[in-house]
Amino acid sequence: MKRLALSVLLLAALGSGLAIAAPTKKVKAIAPPPPISEEQEPAPPNDVLEPLNRATFALNDGIDIAIVNPLVAVWNGIMPSFVRAGVGNFFNNLDDVYVGINHMLQGNPSAAGADFQRVAVNTTVGIGGLFDVGAKMGLHKVDGDFGQTLGAWGLPTGPYLILPLIGPSTFRETTGRFARIATDPRTYLDPVPSYSLMALEYLQTRADGKVNEGLIAASSLDRYVFVRNLYLQKRALMVKAAREKTSSAASLN
Amino acid sequence: MQRFIGQLTRGLALAGFVAALTVMLGFSQAQAEPVAPDEMVRKLAAEMTAAVRADPELQTPGSLKISDFVQKNIVPRFDFERVTQIAMGRNWAKANPSEQKQIIAEFGRLLTRTYSNAIASLKDLEVEVKSTRITTANVDVTVKTQMIGRPQPVAIDYGLINGPGGWKVYDVTVEGISLVAAYRDEFGGLVSSSGVPGLIEALKKKNGG
Repeated sequence: MKRLALSVLLLAALGSGLAIAAPTKKVKAIAPPPPISEEQEPAPPNDVLEPLNRATFALNDGIDIAIVNPLVAVWNGIMPSFVRAGVGNFFNNLDDVYVGINHMLQGNPSAAGADFQRVAVNTTVGIGGLFDVGAKMGLHKVDGDFGQTLGAWGLPTGPYLILPLIGPSTFRETTGRFARIATDPRTYLDPVPSYSLMALEYLQTRADGKVNEGLIAASSLDRYVFVRNLYLQKRALMVKAAREKTSSAASLN
Repeated sequence: MQRFIGQLTRGLALAGFVAALTVMLGFSQAQAEPVAPDEMVRKLAAEMTAAVRADPELQTPGSLKISDFVQKNIVPRFDFERVTQIAMGRNWAKANPSEQKQIIAEFGRLLTRTYSNAIASLKDLEVEVKSTRITTANVDVTVKTQMIGRPQPVAIDYGLINGPGGWKVYDVTVEGISLVAAYRDEFGGLVSSSGVPGLIEALKKKNGG
């Protein structure tokens, strides 16, 4: 809450301050810069469902304003930052189990080993995952999920898809998400603990993202397109990294 | 905006721009004498984090000193013209020279306005130069750095171009993600739906003018 309010204030203050001092344009002749290369002109994203996606995007914004933002504000307001960090670490630790499994599935046992080492350290020394001791030992959290694994195996991304509540996804990442839900022990708890845990994780994740959401809102002209691009860049990089690891491991054998 | 943003970052994007600012601050202190860009990044990032740490006003988000600082030191070290050209892609040729000037000015304002506040976070960060990739010797290089001081290190690469004004930043990628690429999609969409004047209009509106 405080962070969000602060950044909004900031943006407003800076906006008014800087608007006066528009950058002075240097008209000096400059040596012609090297041409801008063709690789910087990528294919347009696959977004055949754009009208539906934009509708869901707007719906999610509505849910954010009506429900999520107030909850995040309350959460940030009542919980000291060390508690919030602990909650974030706890769910990260659970997630690391999946990251490790996926690194195994991607044929990258050394990355998986590091993931499981993180889980072991954080679960024990880090008291059930509340503290990220692994990071302090140089074992940093790495991304990894079933969508990435499917990509490493050669499944194409498929159309971009905005999911209710969850946000940006693709057909492939949504498939991966189902795999995660199906294998997540929390899914099989009684409804009350199951949903409580999921809601808590959701809240903490959303709270973590608020500062950057503010930045994106402030800097984008068409937020839908901006977020889509960032998301697809991120996913493409994850899959590329996994594929490189998979093929280098295969060539060693 | 949903969970992805939280996952994307855990302090990543913001941190990235903080680091970008650090380094650019550094450049402004550099003399015109030729220095290897990576050496410059290394030395000056250290100097600049020290400067911010030493000055509480530069740690106060929203202070007038920050916006002044950014205008004087960072803006001149950015090649907004090239940034804009890349963000426009093939649409650049569709804009006439006066439109091009307007787009450069408005886009520069938008970027400056949005990311100035990040400088306040510099006090907790360190920038390590990892390596340099040379695209064209002495003209176009990418300096790869890692920012530490957050729960996770963040990889930040600066695309730098050498011109009469010395080395200037024209692209920043955070963990491989390019912000300019995101703008290219936006600009492309706006130009195809409402033309170059529509894009200028949208930029002006975003800048509040």
